[in-house]
Amino acid sequence: MNDTGGYFSDDLDALPDDETERRTQIEQRARDRIGQTVEGAQHEGWYGTWTLFTKEMDRFWSVAGQTIISPVVTTMLYFLVFGVSLGDRLKEIQGVPYIDFLVPGLIMLTLINNAFINSAFSFFITKIHGIIVDILVTPLNYLELTIGYTAASIVRGMMVGGSIWGIATLMGAGTIHNPAITLAFMFLTALAFASLGLAIAVLAEDFDHINLLPNFLLTPLTFLGGVFYSIEMLPAPWDTISRLNPVLYVVNGIRYGMTGATQAIDVPLWQAFTVVTAMAVLFTGWAMWLLASGTKVRE
Amino acid sequence: MAALRLAAYAQSPDAFEWLDPRSGHDTDPFNHAIEFMTERFRDDYILSIRELTKQYGDLKAVDDVSLDIEPGEIFALLGPNGAGKTTLISCVTGLITHFQGDVRVAGYDVSEQSHITRRLVGLVPQELKYDAFFNVRDSLRYQGGFFGVEPDDQEVDQLLEAFSLADKADQRTRWLSGGMQRRLMICKALMHDPVLLFLDEPTAGVDVELREELWEYVRRLRERGTTIVLTTHYIEEAEKLADRIGILNDGEIVRVDEQETLMREFGMQRVQVELGAPVPDDLSAELDDLDIERLDEHRLELVYRERRAHQTNERSPVDRLMQTLLDRNLEIESVEGGRTSLEEIFKQLVF
Repeated sequence: MNDTGGYFSDDLDALPDDETERRTQIEQRARDRIGQTVEGAQHEGWYGTWTLFTKEMDRFWSVAGQTIISPVVTTMLYFLVFGVSLGDRLKEIQGVPYIDFLVPGLIMLTLINNAFINSAFSFFITKIHGIIVDILVTPLNYLELTIGYTAASIVRGMMVGGSIWGIATLMGAGTIHNPAITLAFMFLTALAFASLGLAIAVLAEDFDHINLLPNFLLTPLTFLGGVFYSIEMLPAPWDTISRLNPVLYVVNGIRYGMTGATQAIDVPLWQAFTVVTAMAVLFTGWAMWLLASGTKVRE
Repeated sequence: MAALRLAAYAQSPDAFEWLDPRSGHDTDPFNHAIEFMTERFRDDYILSIRELTKQYGDLKAVDDVSLDIEPGEIFALLGPNGAGKTTLISCVTGLITHFQGDVRVAGYDVSEQSHITRRLVGLVPQELKYDAFFNVRDSLRYQGGFFGVEPDDQEVDQLLEAFSLADKADQRTRWLSGGMQRRLMICKALMHDPVLLFLDEPTAGVDVELREELWEYVRRLRERGTTIVLTTHYIEEAEKLADRIGILNDGEIVRVDEQETLMREFGMQRVQVELGAPVPDDLSAELDDLDIERLDEHRLELVYRERRAHQTNERSPVDRLMQTLLDRNLEIESVEGGRTSLEEIFKQLVF
């Protein structure tokens, strides 16, 4: 063993050779340390949550090629194919240039996927590789775990969404009409789907369970949620059925925030806001409840 | 700081010895200026487990276990694979939260006051786990930060130095050898400076050299005032390290005692004597109350239980045997002695 430096010798007196005295001194040290540590443990702050958040940020940032650049590039292909090439033919939808109509939907499409995938994969990989032990033994409670995981996912979702907006603007799309409404919808949607991803990761037992939801539910709902078209263009009864799709509401919410055109949205703003808030509350509550109960994690 | 001490007192008023350094006598914290006080934990046990049961379907992984751990000791939880050792420590460390019974660390309930107990407890899990995204230093910094205190770079460096990982600080964890990863896991568990450290099968699957090295770390950690509970199915590990031993089998505690007590109670001494001449046929008859076996023509073996304090006024079996051999003028070529291993005691208790 190396010279152990300061860790094993910091301000500790040498122990006596006599075994009984030695044991007594060690016990005193132990009792003193317990007393000091209990005193320090009374303090509850947010540094643990901040650490989890920064660790999660560090994780996705260290593979930014996959987590940020790749989804932005993929979405910009949609933008080029649907917006630029088809936009020349479609011109306007509901009185709004098609490019301006399309960009908010594309932002939501990408934001939903990235917010979901980030918390789902991060938590699931941690769970399946057993590294979750490092988290479970800490004082972080269900609220702090939910905040740490979802906050990083929200940042990723909004970074990707923001990048798409930035590039689209450079390519001729309109600017944001109401930043507050736009950001509120982005934040609440990202929170809802980050929490949903976290909840699914808690329950998942293999990777198929994680992939199932985005592939067979999120992607169809998003594509049918008015990203590329207005539901008024659909024949009955599909226009009515589409109103059952919650993604329609978040897409229309951000579309209003970015275009400011009431005629371009299929549902009233208050309905959109109610649905996105309800989803955020429901999914965040579900994730917290699962983490608090220890389901599939602390068993 | 004073508020923190009051909070600690309010949570568990009997668990601490409140000392006024000016007088040197115990004081009531509410009768004196609290800023002069320091506190020392004074309960008998840092960990108290009462009637702990953890059931999976019909299987009781831990069955009505009660156990106390004293401050500053090394306690070995010994048992065969599947005995319930890991389940037991998982209930204390927060990996399992649904169980029956009462588990307290320094007087705090692990279910109700986990924000305190988890700050006191550290765990080195059995299996090697590493987060491939990060390097050694970042892994340690994050692990320390989870406990609510910003890690000090100097402390991280000291820990890495102490566990011979200083030159690997900036290396990704996935590229470390098995031995380095095991040392890293210990460092991670120590980042928040726990006072009660659980080592779950710390030397499972490691080579002899690393095993000795890990044992030395355990001893030095104890010298710092860290109470250590290790689970193991290596008897030798318990024998080398532990002050007390708990034997767990099929989820139940079979026996808890000082290692020395177990050895005294169950330990047998063996003495083999080789004679220059053939062993006399009537030797056993003369010492008929002793367990003497003739191994071959020239060798005999005496097996006897280790003597207890109250038996010391009697002549020892070895003394009597030797005296008899000398009285008969039998030449003694060699004498070899040995003691029953803990492994044999373990087999007696468990199987």
